[in-house]
Amino acid sequence: MQCDRARELIGAYIDAELGGDDRASVASHVESCAVCTRLAGDIRRTSTVIAGLGRKNAPVVLASKIRSRLDAEGREQVDRPRMPWRMPSSVWRQAAALAACCMLSVLVTWGVVTSSDRADGLQQEIVTAHIRSLLQDSPIQVASSDAHSVKPWFAGRVDFAPEVKDLTAEGFPLVGGRLDYVDHRRVGVLVYRRRLHIVNVFMWRARAAEDAAPMLAKRNGHNLLSWTKDGVIYWAVSDLDGGELKRLQSLL
Amino acid sequence: MERMEQRSSFERLTLPHLDAAFNLAFWLVRSDADAEDIVQDAYVRAFRGFHGFAGTDARPWLLAIVRNAAYRWLSNRRRSANVVSLDEAFGGPGNEPAEAQIVSEDPTPEAQLLGAVDRGLVRSAIAELSPIFREVIVLREIEGLAYREISRVTGAPIGTVMSRLARGRRELRKALGRMMDQDKPHAV
Repeated sequence: MQCDRARELIGAYIDAELGGDDRASVASHVESCAVCTRLAGDIRRTSTVIAGLGRKNAPVVLASKIRSRLDAEGREQVDRPRMPWRMPSSVWRQAAALAACCMLSVLVTWGVVTSSDRADGLQQEIVTAHIRSLLQDSPIQVASSDAHSVKPWFAGRVDFAPEVKDLTAEGFPLVGGRLDYVDHRRVGVLVYRRRLHIVNVFMWRARAAEDAAPMLAKRNGHNLLSWTKDGVIYWAVSDLDGGELKRLQSLL
Repeated sequence: MERMEQRSSFERLTLPHLDAAFNLAFWLVRSDADAEDIVQDAYVRAFRGFHGFAGTDARPWLLAIVRNAAYRWLSNRRRSANVVSLDEAFGGPGNEPAEAQIVSEDPTPEAQLLGAVDRGLVRSAIAELSPIFREVIVLREIEGLAYREISRVTGAPIGTVMSRLARGRRELRKALGRMMDQDKPHAV
């Protein structure tokens, strides 16, 4: 093994992080090379010195500060007072059941009638968010062509771990990611480029677990493709034609 | 009820790593008060995303969130152009009172042998590294994380972790050598 190569690997060798072949060849090189032996010693010494600094420990009060922040967080989410509720008499119970049935039937009818409206509304919202992102200086909050810095950026920002792939080789370079607000919830967005076109891929956690096949829709000259995979709902939107969106979907 | 269980399992899994979280935040932003804010913020975020956490080892997961929060803080600070911290303005971490009292465990005999190297110098040398090298040094040398875990915290592939660590260590040795040379007249 050459000195140059060995120098790069000695640290990992000392940390016991090298696999079989590399480990054996670094070991034999270090034994035979005085310069690298000295380097290994230096690395070990520096490590010991740094480890000797020890941790900067958290202030004692920090745990209780965190607990009270979490309490506040819990209160925000479960903010309904619990009233003691007495069992009503049977007449009232029947009346209540009847009222509940009526209510349910109204809701179901209303749901059926308006669901197509809602789907329409969602499409419009997504196209609007897409256009808004293009009007701004930049459609992204975390820039990268490296999927490895975009994916962890979403940790703690959205409630699922998005599938982030760089598709440069396939002609869809990853520009980056951002957060957006669609359908009354915070959603993650991946931004891809196709030639001069920008594709926004909106993602949020699905309520139901089953996958849904891609569906294409058109709105204001934009194409939208929606599908559900592994519990995540995706909406890709762009002025690209539908076929190219489908290609992106098949790659994701 | 379910909420309470979730809350208690969250605390059971994450609070043991509070010192690790604080240590990482402190080394990234190098201020006690800011590190405290960042860690609180990160715990709240972690709790919100806790139902998405499926693993058993919460440490890399939590540290990744702390790291995100710290980087967000750093980039906000850069963006607010009229706020320039002293150590940025003077380019040297040497004049940082916040770093003066780092708590540490009792030195091992080996560390005592090497005690000739001033702790202050070591801290300054680490502080001089840019954050992406500083974090791998802190995670490896102080926290003792395996490369795989560092990769999960930083989101960088293991090969990148390895090369960042090699370069961070190289720069650290250079800086220490330089500082000790400067210091010699006083030290001897």
